[in-house]
Amino acid sequence: MTAQQTAQRTTRTDHIPGKSLRARLFPYLLVAPTLILVIAFTILPAIHTVIDSLYTIPRSATDPPEYVGLQNYADLFNPNHFIGSNFVLIVGNTLLFAFNTVIIAVPLALLFALLLNRRVRGMAVWRFSLFYPALLPLIGAASIWAFLFSDQVGLINTVLRSFGQRGINWLGDPNVVLWAVIVINIWKQTGYFMIFYLAGLQNIPKDYYEAAELDGANERQKLIRVTLPLLRRTTLFVLVIAFTFAFQTVEQLQVLGQGDPGGRSNLLLYYIFQTIPERRNWGYVNAMTVILVLILLAFTITNFVFFERRQEDE
Amino acid sequence: MNKRRSLARISATVITMIASGVWLLPLIFAVLVSFRPRAEPISVGNIFFGSTITFENYASALAVAPWAWHYFTTLIFVVGVLVVQFITVSMAGYAFARLKFFGRGFLLFLILLQIMIPTAVLLVQNFATIRELGLFDTRWALMLPYWGSAFGVLLLRQTFRDIPYELEEAARIDGANWSQIMRNIYIPLSIPSYVAFALVSISSHWNEFLWPFIVTRTEEVRPLTVGLNKLYQTSDVGAVYGQLMAGTIIVIAPLVILFILFQRRFIESFASSGIK
Repeated sequence: MTAQQTAQRTTRTDHIPGKSLRARLFPYLLVAPTLILVIAFTILPAIHTVIDSLYTIPRSATDPPEYVGLQNYADLFNPNHFIGSNFVLIVGNTLLFAFNTVIIAVPLALLFALLLNRRVRGMAVWRFSLFYPALLPLIGAASIWAFLFSDQVGLINTVLRSFGQRGINWLGDPNVVLWAVIVINIWKQTGYFMIFYLAGLQNIPKDYYEAAELDGANERQKLIRVTLPLLRRTTLFVLVIAFTFAFQTVEQLQVLGQGDPGGRSNLLLYYIFQTIPERRNWGYVNAMTVILVLILLAFTITNFVFFERRQEDE
Repeated sequence: MNKRRSLARISATVITMIASGVWLLPLIFAVLVSFRPRAEPISVGNIFFGSTITFENYASALAVAPWAWHYFTTLIFVVGVLVVQFITVSMAGYAFARLKFFGRGFLLFLILLQIMIPTAVLLVQNFATIRELGLFDTRWALMLPYWGSAFGVLLLRQTFRDIPYELEEAARIDGANWSQIMRNIYIPLSIPSYVAFALVSISSHWNEFLWPFIVTRTEEVRPLTVGLNKLYQTSDVGAVYGQLMAGTIIVIAPLVILFILFQRRFIESFASSGIK
C-alpha cells in the first residue's frame, strides 16, 4: 500500500457527513494551542513589524507614532545618518558571514561524515570531539575562543610567538575580526551538519554499493556515482538550515567585541539587538527586521527552487 | 590494489584524528586554563600546565553571579518549555496526521511559518507583547513564545502517520476514547521521536541568550547564559581568562556530561529530527 492510500484510508472514517458538532470541532481544538501561539508570537508580530517600520516613535511617550512612509528605510541606507553609517557594511558582513560559513562548513561536514561512516576504533571519541561544539551555548563557545584569540595571553598568539612569528590581533584588527568570527561558527556548526550527513549515508541501501562493485567501480567512483547523488536531499536540507542558522547566529558577538572595531564584525540581528534599548529607534529596528526576514525567506526559497529544479532535470 | 586501499584507510584515520584533535583543542584548553593559577598566563611557562592546580578561578567565578539562581531559572525554562510543548505538539501532530478537517492544509502552512520566520528574529515585537501581558522580568516571559513548536508538530505528524491505523481502530471498537488512544498507542509507539524532540528542544533553550537577556532584568530570573555574559563583562579581560573559563565550564558541563552519557541517543535524535 502506498503512503497516499494509507492516508486516504486513515482519514476516511472521520469524514462522515452526519458527524456531531463536537466531533467536527475536535480537530480545531487540537490545533488551537499551537495555532494561537504561532499567531501571537510569529504571524502578528511579523505583520506588525512591517506596519511599524513605516512609523517613528516620538520622544514623548504620550504622542502617537508618526507615519513616515519609507523614511526609516531611507535612513538605513543613508551613510550620513547615524543609523545608516554602518548599516550597509553590516548587511555585507552578514552575507559574507553566512556564505563563508556555509561554503566551508557544509563540505567539511560531508567529509567528516564520510570519515566517521566507517568501522574505526575509538569512534565515540571522534564523534564526541566533532559534535560537542554544537551543544555549547554560543556565548560559552565564544568565551573560549575569546581566550584562544586573545592578543597578549591567547593560545594562538602564544604558539605563533613561540615559533618566532608575530602575533595577530585577531579580534582587534578590522580586516581579520570577521574571519575570526567565521572560524568560530564553522567550528561550532560543522558537527551539527555532519550528523545529518551521517544519517543520510546510513539511509543509502547497501545493494547500491554491491551493484556498483559488480560493475567494477572503485571507491572513488562509488563516492561520485552513488554516494553524492543520493545525498542531494540531505544537502538541500543542510543548506537550508545552515543559511537559516547563519542569519541568527549572533550571540557570540556579545563576548567578541560587540561588533567592533568600527562595526567590522557586526551582524544584522546583533545590530537590531543593540538598537532595541532606545525606544525612539524602534522604527529602525522594525525596518531592519523586515530586511532580515526578507533575506531569510529569499535564501530559503532559492535553495528549494534550485534543488527541486536540479532534481527534475534528471 | 590492496596496498592502495589500506593506504587510503590509514590516511582517512589520520585525517579523522587530526580533525578531532583540532576540534577538541578549545575544550581542552578551557579546562586546563580554568585550573591554572591566575598569576601564570599560558604565555608564561609551560603552555599546558601551571605550577599547581588551583580552584581559585572557580571560587571567584562563583562569586560574580548568583549561579544557583541561574541554574534554577535555566532548568525551569528548559523543563517548562518542554512539558508544554509535549502537550501542544502531540495534539496538533495527531490532528494533522489523522483527522480530516476544513482548512487543514492552510492551518499547517500558517504553523510552518514559524520555521521560516524564527521567533528569535522578531525580538522587539515579542518584547512589546510580553510587556503588554505584564510578564516582563518573569520566567513566564522566557517560556511563552516557545510553547508552540512547528518543528515538533511536523515531527510528530510524520511519526503518527507511520503508526498502523488498525491499532487505533481496534482500540475504538474496545470503547477507548481519544486520550486513552493517545496514552496507550500513539505516545508509547513514538518514544524515539519524543526523545529526539526533547534533546533538540533542551539543548536549544539551554543555550538561548538574546531573548532572555531582553525580557528579564532581575538576576534571579535570568538563565545561565546571561550569567556567563555578566561574568565576561565584569572580567578584567586579559588578566582573568582563568575565571572566565571556569564560568564557561560551570555553564556547559551539564549538557556536555549528558552528551557523553547518551552520545548515540543524542546523535540519532538530532539526525532523525531533521531528515523527515
